[in-house]
Amino acid sequence: MKDIEHLLRVAVIFLASITVFLVVRAVVKPESYGKIGRYRAEALDDSKALPVRYAGQKECGPCHKAQVKEKAGSSHSGVSCESCHGALAAHVAAPKGAKPAKPAEAEMRRFCLRCHEASVSKPAKFPVQDGTKHNPDMACGMCHKPHAPKI
Amino acid sequence: MRELPRRDFLKLTASALLTAAAAALAAPAAWAEKFYREPPWRRKKPYWGFGVDIEKCIGCARCVDACKTENDVPREPFYFRTWVERYIIRKDNEIKIDAPNGGLDGYPPVADPETVAKSFFVPKLCNLCESSPCVQVCPVGATFKTEDGVVLIDKKYCIGCRYCIQACPYGTRYFHPVLQVADKCSVCYHRLKRGMVTACVEVCPTGARMVGDLSDPESNVTKFRENNKVQTLKANMGTEPKLVYKGLDKEVR
Repeated sequence: MKDIEHLLRVAVIFLASITVFLVVRAVVKPESYGKIGRYRAEALDDSKALPVRYAGQKECGPCHKAQVKEKAGSSHSGVSCESCHGALAAHVAAPKGAKPAKPAEAEMRRFCLRCHEASVSKPAKFPVQDGTKHNPDMACGMCHKPHAPKI
Repeated sequence: MRELPRRDFLKLTASALLTAAAAALAAPAAWAEKFYREPPWRRKKPYWGFGVDIEKCIGCARCVDACKTENDVPREPFYFRTWVERYIIRKDNEIKIDAPNGGLDGYPPVADPETVAKSFFVPKLCNLCESSPCVQVCPVGATFKTEDGVVLIDKKYCIGCRYCIQACPYGTRYFHPVLQVADKCSVCYHRLKRGMVTACVEVCPTGARMVGDLSDPESNVTKFRENNKVQTLKANMGTEPKLVYKGLDKEVR
């Protein structure tokens, strides 16, 4: 008996540690952890439930038919409404409540040139202008309508 | 113990070998499945991928702005889920990379444009790694790859240890100063699940960005990968990104 006493002592320590581990694990582990993979399955629902701020292009057409049609036939056809007017999911939900942003006339040059300022880094085919030389004192909108910019 | 006659020993060995060979032929070794390199989107549906056409990017940073709005990313100039880098490669091989405020403030004019060999914009975001270093290092399983191939963060479970931030080879993670957890591009998972495109894709005026289902042979991203010569960033890291670039220069890191 004396010979295996030290073995028994170690075995008891091991068993106790394993029990403590299992108890702690059962208490600490979130319920949905491991249901799909090594993560909380509920985290997926959290990610899915986040609010949407940008409504998407197709939401604009039903109310703003004329503008959407004008834009669709222009060189800005690939630019979505929210690209210039900002996030509009709130406006879609309550059209009278949240109003879309619109670059002010004084702001217009800076805003348009953010895309159209000449730069060696831009693709060769993209239409650009040197803002310091191209009618520097005029707002872009005086000649170019934003929804159909070609004159 | 009885001695085994030579004849019996040979018979036994031969039959054992034959049985093993027959078994191997009948069922192609199951362990080989582990090394089979079939892309996961052959089996899983949907499976999200991303495409960026560098030749179309004009560096307007509408994507950066939209991303910050959609995902409540802090407005300070060092927190980004996506940002746009400008590369300027001079004829004497000097390379300059800048992205003032992620591109949101515009880029200063290039000095001495005649000495520039080439210059272009590179939008950066989560590379959607198939084997993600960030997922591997998370000690609590708070960052994970979903069944549809997106790497997400469980913000309620993250302990804020920042291991994932230093593990990402693309630097696409940051530490959220308010929530005190790691944060990263989720490819607007909440939008994808509602059948919408990501906020950055929605506002991109030139169509330089696209998001789509890799398991659909007709999807935009599948076609983009088939019809163009595409590349991933840091392929040598073995992360197998599902974000591919068209027109990627070798100097891009």
